Amino acid sequence: MLRCDDYYLPATLDEAFDLIERFPGEHRIIAGGTDLLPWAREGRAGDVHIPVLIDISRVAEMRGQKAQDGRIRLGANTTFAEFLKDPFLKRHLPVMAHAAIWFADDQLRAAATLAGNLVNGSPAGDGIPPMVAMEGSVVLESRKDGKRHTRTVPVADFIQGPGKTLLEPGELMTAIECDDMEGWGSAFEKVGHRRSLVISTCCVAALVKVDWATRRFADVRLAIGAVGPVPCRAKELEQSLIGQPVTAETIRSLSDRTAGFVRSRSRQEYRRKVLASFVERALGDALDELGIAPVSQPVHGEERLHA
Amino acid sequence: MPKITIQTTVNGRSVSKDVDPSLRLLDFLREELYLTGAKEGCGAGECGTCSVFVDGVLMKSCLMPAGKAQGTTIETVEGLAERNRLTVLQQAFHKTGASQCGYCIPGMVMAATSCLRGNPHASLDEIKEHLGGNICRCTGYSKIFEAVELARDVLNGSVPATALQEDAFKDSFLGANVRRLDAPSKVTGALKYAGDMTMPGMLHLQVLRSPHAHARIVSLDTSEAERMPGVEAVVTSADVPGVDGYGVFIHDQPVLARGKVRFVGDAVAAIAAETVAQARDALEKIKVVYEELPAVFDAEEAMKPGAPLVHEGNTDNICQHIPIRKGNIEDGFAKADVILEETFRTQRVEHAYLEPEAGLAYVEPDGTVTIHSPSQNITHHRHMLAHILAMPINKVRMIMSPVGGGFGGKEDMIYQGILALAAIKSRRPVRYVFTREESILVSAKRHPFVMRLRMGLTKDGRITATHMHSISDGGAYALSTPGVMRKHCILGAGPYEIDNVRIDAYGIYTNNTPSGAFRTFGAMQSLFATESMMDMAAEKLGLDPFEIRRINAMRDGAVTHTQQKLGSVSMLQVLDTLEKGSRWQPGVPNGRGATRDDLGGPGTRAPCTLGVRLRDTSDVAAE
Repeated sequence: MLRCDDYYLPATLDEAFDLIERFPGEHRIIAGGTDLLPWAREGRAGDVHIPVLIDISRVAEMRGQKAQDGRIRLGANTTFAEFLKDPFLKRHLPVMAHAAIWFADDQLRAAATLAGNLVNGSPAGDGIPPMVAMEGSVVLESRKDGKRHTRTVPVADFIQGPGKTLLEPGELMTAIECDDMEGWGSAFEKVGHRRSLVISTCCVAALVKVDWATRRFADVRLAIGAVGPVPCRAKELEQSLIGQPVTAETIRSLSDRTAGFVRSRSRQEYRRKVLASFVERALGDALDELGIAPVSQPVHGEERLHA
Repeated sequence: MPKITIQTTVNGRSVSKDVDPSLRLLDFLREELYLTGAKEGCGAGECGTCSVFVDGVLMKSCLMPAGKAQGTTIETVEGLAERNRLTVLQQAFHKTGASQCGYCIPGMVMAATSCLRGNPHASLDEIKEHLGGNICRCTGYSKIFEAVELARDVLNGSVPATALQEDAFKDSFLGANVRRLDAPSKVTGALKYAGDMTMPGMLHLQVLRSPHAHARIVSLDTSEAERMPGVEAVVTSADVPGVDGYGVFIHDQPVLARGKVRFVGDAVAAIAAETVAQARDALEKIKVVYEELPAVFDAEEAMKPGAPLVHEGNTDNICQHIPIRKGNIEDGFAKADVILEETFRTQRVEHAYLEPEAGLAYVEPDGTVTIHSPSQNITHHRHMLAHILAMPINKVRMIMSPVGGGFGGKEDMIYQGILALAAIKSRRPVRYVFTREESILVSAKRHPFVMRLRMGLTKDGRITATHMHSISDGGAYALSTPGVMRKHCILGAGPYEIDNVRIDAYGIYTNNTPSGAFRTFGAMQSLFATESMMDMAAEKLGLDPFEIRRINAMRDGAVTHTQQKLGSVSMLQVLDTLEKGSRWQPGVPNGRGATRDDLGGPGTRAPCTLGVRLRDTSDVAAE
């Protein structure tokens, strides 16, 4: 069980930094709490005593979302539920709605934040592949001698390994920025032991843009999660599609080039098979969202694996 | 202890309380406000028994620190029914029989309420999606979905409110949709399970469990733990006044480890303290010196000469051997045209009832020890406990609290004895509530089996002999193993007329988690082997799987291989109904190519989908 001696709900960033300075080394930041509380249980961290919990979920500056210069800025308190409900987010970050529907359940999505998912740095964090695909970066703020310091780090660099990030003590993730993906087709594929509330065994985020005149891929973003120590972008696969005709064969040609992404030590064979199918299906679903179907030639005698 | 002040509105009432900042919203509601409708099924956000509305949004209160509730408006299941009039949804749950054990039901009702508040016209797919965070282990969800759809239709006026009333029935309850008497108490969260009960002066129990699979306890020192703040009683096996041992068939399990631990999770000592946290802190001060012993984790290994012995006085680790003989299998195999042989394996399974084990014990003024617990076998528990406590049976009282799912897993008296000792020693009421992790670590599992099956058949599909040799991992203690072995043998040959049968089942002691009762009690495992082999035989002989079963099926008046005469046997009717209902495509199992015509179709449940709400893009377009 998680035990603490005090619980604070700062309303502003300055109040949050005041508390961080007041309780150096004996505080922990809490946002949604959906990772922290299950962590402090038998079989994981067990009974944990954290003297002070600083709950940042009511910090005003960390709320809201806006578009600027082709990028979208998400306040760190943006929850997964918002990606499913908020019309602005659905329009500008369509892939996040697909990822969110696979993330936990309604009730946890109402509490869990994307920023928390990134700070937690799990290899299976469902928010990470979409952010990597959308050139996401995190805004990290700290305060020293009364002065605010801000740095921006790409998500791909921020997450260093399982549970390891570049977040420094005293630093807060205050926002997340990523490309504005309005008009892109998107998809998110995921498989775990069940549908709801499950940790990914393999997941794929895909975004596509099509040149309608030539029916060719104008741009592609592909990122893969839960099959290695950190989620990663599949840039070479993206490159090989750009400029190619939108056909089932083009998409299927990627299938035998995905195995190398599987670096997890468990269930490798399964993950390789699923990943190959997922890349194919995610691209198909993303195209489908744009209303374009890849020209398909039926393939005989091939067994395809569906989750 | 440091306190924080929580100010909230709960079910329309302003609440201000100074509480331990470590509390979760769930603890705040249950322990401070006595609103026990929200349950703790897992404590990790997985099961949804704790769902409540916070500012109108459904949340899992087990993952929410109470501090987060500051200034919010909370609605619990108790707040749904105004003036004791059930909401339409609650009435629908009552009508369709959606509440069985009831433990998940407050959370289900809340999730369904949230779903219909969000979209009064939610489709079945959408209902399923919104209930995705709530687990039920009894219903298979069908009746729950039926209830939510009924409520939706009544609320929308497409179905009259009279549909919520009980179906009329005439002379017989058979075939009638009769409402459960206890459903209203379940859909409102009013029903008190053992973990919901409190008493004045009540202490909280925690148990120190073995980290080793097999070890001798060299020394056990509780002196420091006894001096810890809040500690009122520390109990060990030394506190047992009578004959220490329990089990459904063999009393081989001590209330608390006696000189030796036999599996990871074996109870070693227990502490009753003013709070759960104090009891947990004190557990850490108990000093146990173990001498690790060689352990055995495989039933077949455990049967070999020289294997580590789990119980003193038992020289072969065999807990129970059941041999069944009918006819002469050698003659039977001699008459066979084909003989099939295969090894089948089944795995250990956790019951995962939504209600973790819990109990409340106290001593009445006349000395009667009373224990409330969701025990599936109170009378037997009472007898065993009287021996353990060396008390006359009229001074031991077992009260069966509502069982939040049992499935056989609550037949074992794995904690009631500890509670009794703690209540006697502390002279205070003592409550013990397992965490989900503890429940999985300690409670019995379905027996894993390795079954070697040999079956002889004539060319026309008649079974001439069956020989099953089963070895099962019974784990560290007997629990229900002897009975499970018996049932395994009694039903193992299937509902077939077979002249020559030989079945041997061995329940074996190992240093694994004990195996025990679980729905079908050993029969599922042997029938998995037998029925799998029937399909294999159909393939081998070129017969339809239904046909080969009809050829061998027991008929009225059949005598089983354990010499039980069966007056009426419905096997043929069952087969006919199944064949018709499944729209079975007749033929040899392996003779139909890659596709078959009898999959899917009306009456088949469609696979679950996700994202039905994403397909509705009206709000994006409207923006």
